Amino acid sequence: MKHKIKLEIDTAPIKSILNQNKKQIKLGLSMCAHCALCAESCFLYISNDRDPEYMPAYKFINTIGRLYKKKGKVSKEALEKMGELVFDKCVLCTRCYCPFGIDIPSLITLGRRICRSQGVFREYDK
Amino acid sequence: MTFLTIPSSAVLLEIIQGSLVWIAFIISGGGIIAQSFRLLKMTRKQAMPQLSSNAQYASQTAATAKNVWRHRLSVLKISILETNPAMATVSFIFHVCLFMAPMFLLAHNILLDLAFEVSFVSFSEKMSDSMTVVIIACGFFFFLRRIFVRRVRIITTVYDYMFLFIAVSPFLTGFLAYHHIFNYHLMIVLHILSGELMLVMLPFSKFFHMIFFFISRFMIISEHSMGSPKRLWQY
Repeated sequence: MKHKIKLEIDTAPIKSILNQNKKQIKLGLSMCAHCALCAESCFLYISNDRDPEYMPAYKFINTIGRLYKKKGKVSKEALEKMGELVFDKCVLCTRCYCPFGIDIPSLITLGRRICRSQGVFREYDK
Repeated sequence: MTFLTIPSSAVLLEIIQGSLVWIAFIISGGGIIAQSFRLLKMTRKQAMPQLSSNAQYASQTAATAKNVWRHRLSVLKISILETNPAMATVSFIFHVCLFMAPMFLLAHNILLDLAFEVSFVSFSEKMSDSMTVVIIACGFFFFLRRIFVRRVRIITTVYDYMFLFIAVSPFLTGFLAYHHIFNYHLMIVLHILSGELMLVMLPFSKFFHMIFFFISRFMIISEHSMGSPKRLWQY
């Protein structure tokens, strides 16, 4: 018998992580001036032909930022895309340099925590 | 008999030039102080490791003048001065002029003198005028950068254009009013209104990076911090 596995998003753990770290996420999002000066500090951005999706600001705005704005109500596909950003496009080397001093790695860590809470992990055997 | 009458333009102008200015300054000043305290409450003091004696310090660091300077310069090498010198220069000039031009403008100082009989020193009108042109040019550079540089465009929202416009508009309208381009009276009203809007928005919007920058770079311990910070984030 063929089972169609329906993977739904469980918003409760997402909301709990978002609420616990609300101040930090809000501050990071509200202080980011979208200047894109963090780009060159990311070695993955440099080594991937300067693809803007590797830019630290893009990574945190489109993962934890989007989750925060949508209060965790995102589709599974969207979350998988976020998983790609926080697991594959960032190695958490913590070298990113924000002129304003926003702690980008800790925000990406929160994105990883949310992804893990929904069963989205780094896939080593891709 | 009507209870609500639309005030005449003269009365409106009086409000815009008078009470609204003070309200804007009070909201801005009070907001900046309140928000700064709110931000500082999100941090905690971190106990720093204490070295027992100067001799121990000297033996551990060998802080010769040459080493100290090498370290200071290496810090600059990982900053935007190395990776993006053009943007670093333009944004530095923009931010310096953004503060200096209105503060040391002769016309503003005359108004200050009329109100409180105290004022700052003033730049020559020609210098203030040049600084205004520099601000408008830098604003235009940021605008073009948002449109044409891919990595900036990809994270730009409509609000970023709005903030840029709000930041530059007091200078643009001030410039137009000073040179009597278009209608002087309209320009001066727009100049005052846009200035008031910017002041009110300062503590409650992205403009607050003005304070956040100094707190996060000079007071929080991190790899890129400057000075001798002693605090950590505690959200």
